[in-house]
Amino acid sequence: MKTTENVLVLRDLTMDYGGKLVLNRVNLEVKRGQIIGYIGPNGAGKSTTVKIMLGLIQDYKGTVELFGQDISQGDISYKRRIGYVPEQAELYDNLTAMEFLVFTGELYGLERQYAEQKAEKLLKEFDLTSVMDARLSSFSKGMKQKVLITSSLLHNPDLLFLDEPLSGLDANSMMIIREMLAQLAEQGKTIFYSSHIMDVVEKISNRIVLLVRGEVVADGTFEELQELSQEGTLSGIFNQLTGFTDHGERASRFISIMQDGDADA
Amino acid sequence: MQMREYRSIQVISLFKPLLLKLGIDYETLVIILRMKLTMDGRRVPTIFNDTRVKKEGNQFLKSLWIYALYGLLITPFLFLGNQLVFQMGISFGIIIFILSTTMIADFSSVLLDIRDKNILHTKPADSKTINAAKILHILIYMFFVSGSLLLLPILVSLFKKGILFTLLFLVDIGLTIALVIVITSLLYLVVLRFFDGERLKDIINYVQILLSVGTIIGYQVVARSFDIVNFDISYTFSWWHLLLPPLWYGSTFEMLINRNYSIGIVLGSILGILVPILAVLLYIRLMPAFERSLDKLMGVAKERKRKPHRIIAFLANLTCRSKEERVFFRFATLMMRQEREFKLKVYPVLAMGIVFPFIFILMELRERSLADIGTGSMFLFIYFLNFIIPTVVHMLRYSGSYKGGWIFKAAPIDHPQIVFSGTLKAFLTTMYAPVFLFLSVIFIGIFSISVIPDLLAVALGGVLFTAIVYMLMDRDSFPFTMSFQFAQDSGSFKMFLIGLLTLLFVAAHTFANRFEFGIYVYIALLLVASGITWHSVFRKRFVSQ
Repeated sequence: MKTTENVLVLRDLTMDYGGKLVLNRVNLEVKRGQIIGYIGPNGAGKSTTVKIMLGLIQDYKGTVELFGQDISQGDISYKRRIGYVPEQAELYDNLTAMEFLVFTGELYGLERQYAEQKAEKLLKEFDLTSVMDARLSSFSKGMKQKVLITSSLLHNPDLLFLDEPLSGLDANSMMIIREMLAQLAEQGKTIFYSSHIMDVVEKISNRIVLLVRGEVVADGTFEELQELSQEGTLSGIFNQLTGFTDHGERASRFISIMQDGDADA
Repeated sequence: MQMREYRSIQVISLFKPLLLKLGIDYETLVIILRMKLTMDGRRVPTIFNDTRVKKEGNQFLKSLWIYALYGLLITPFLFLGNQLVFQMGISFGIIIFILSTTMIADFSSVLLDIRDKNILHTKPADSKTINAAKILHILIYMFFVSGSLLLLPILVSLFKKGILFTLLFLVDIGLTIALVIVITSLLYLVVLRFFDGERLKDIINYVQILLSVGTIIGYQVVARSFDIVNFDISYTFSWWHLLLPPLWYGSTFEMLINRNYSIGIVLGSILGILVPILAVLLYIRLMPAFERSLDKLMGVAKERKRKPHRIIAFLANLTCRSKEERVFFRFATLMMRQEREFKLKVYPVLAMGIVFPFIFILMELRERSLADIGTGSMFLFIYFLNFIIPTVVHMLRYSGSYKGGWIFKAAPIDHPQIVFSGTLKAFLTTMYAPVFLFLSVIFIGIFSISVIPDLLAVALGGVLFTAIVYMLMDRDSFPFTMSFQFAQDSGSFKMFLIGLLTLLFVAAHTFANRFEFGIYVYIALLLVASGITWHSVFRKRFVSQ
């Protein structure tokens, strides 16, 4: 199913926020069927990149093309082919899970009845059938996350933006998602996966992009990055490429301050 | 699926061709509005703040009855005197106050909903449609609120004042609604431009408090002020009247009904029409900037300078005996100052404590002069502040962030009663004392410095009473560890009854004043009693769990 068709293209993407350069000439071409692991330290500009591609931030410089369409031209039809799981589980808490899903389904152009039937089936797979008519305000973090994931898939999108999608999920649900992402990519869906959890990114991505202070410092398969850094794990590669190698010393200093405080008391 | 079809959406469907012409995606608009209206029905409006609310049914529709009651307040102004600029000016003053505070208190969340940004703007819905849904959503709400507020005044004006008057009333109300919505949004735009989202949330919180205070006290003041306001005074124009929107609308009546074409009246009428229209145009122009600045609400608040809490530390050292007690003093002070939900519940009660003594004095002013009052014992009305102590102390157990209460269970607290003694001392020194001092200054102005010993006795009575309240209340939880959801259900009435004990203090005070130097003996007795009570109450015997 995989083709060489570019689903997502970023050209010289630059973003300045209050005088601070958040993204600096980011260039990226993502092909159909790829799972991009988009990683970087806190404040590297990962979420900003995702928000720009989703049309949440407009005052950027450079070009963003999704499905061959420049998103700055005002045509939002490309959004029908996108699914999005935000970093924070922001939902309309006063709605029930089913109401929320039908609402988002309708926004993507699904018929209400069809959206309802589909949502019910999907929620069943997450064992949420019994609570689907309960208000989201009563849901745990993991349950809300499952609803968000369901809402991002309801309209069968071609491109998925996932920002820390596994946060709050139990091990079993995580396995379902990981397996599902792999199968979706096999079918030609493209997945843009932004996360801090290195071992998950390592396992599911077929391409990893590392962003540091708004710049792409590494871009390749896990094996290519291993070769580049001579490190065995993605965590090791991440530490080396972000220049963070003194974690042991910092931990020791932390403990020593902690125990000094004890001595004073 | 419980989401139903709404009549207001059916009304909007009449405008479908117009909306389509404006480039709005009608289907998406309806989907968004339906969801918004469903959620509205599940929120508790701020105007219900002070009452027990069952969670069933559409809370919004139920709140409309309260607006209808306010409508009753406006109606008499239609008939008082023949100075339309004045009487309609007052009516529109009340209307603008109620609509704008309601708008800010309950519909700020609509204007500032950042979930909209993440949920709607990531979907195939264009900004024009999302913004149209936002405005229509607010308009529907304002239509209901102003409809129930003004139904009675409009009906009365139709039967008593004629069709022209009523039509003018309706047009002016429409302009007022536009003005209120747009000015609120522009105000937010300015605030967001210069401050961060946290500051805006604080401002909204203060407006919510103002609305609660306004609804509690406004009734008392307005109901009592009917016969002291003289409506027969003749209106003379001053240039600054042009700065008061209610008088603009008063002017339109004066001009068209009373045929008064003086320059001030004509200018006022023109402003009443022109300003809302210009404001709407400005708003449409600035809407994209508004959407962009909403990002600030999503971001982390700007770093603020860490304020050195020197005064708190000083007061803690002054009033607390142990290090542990000082910790809870500081914690309680910060919670009382910073927690928005706590302030929303407690500040209106405090405001009652401040305003009620003056309402009583104001009533007395109708019969006597201020100088005459100054020689009497009306300073005893300051005891009203002590009357509310039980309610506030009761509220100290609740918090919007009650889930953080696990820390009390997890931390090794040797003497749990210390938690409450620190909290109550914080209440007395950082909340009760400033309000009391404020009242005292005014009371000294009215009753001369000879009232100082009496005020001291009232304050000491407050200190003693606080310990007594703690003794009598349920001590089954730590401060700030229970949800406000349960605050109305338990103990409110009990706290009211305990509040009546204030009458004992008033009686003792009056009795002491019958003797020369009696007040000083009373003060000495209160000092001893407070010392003993605080000491015994906060020994291990009364342990919180």
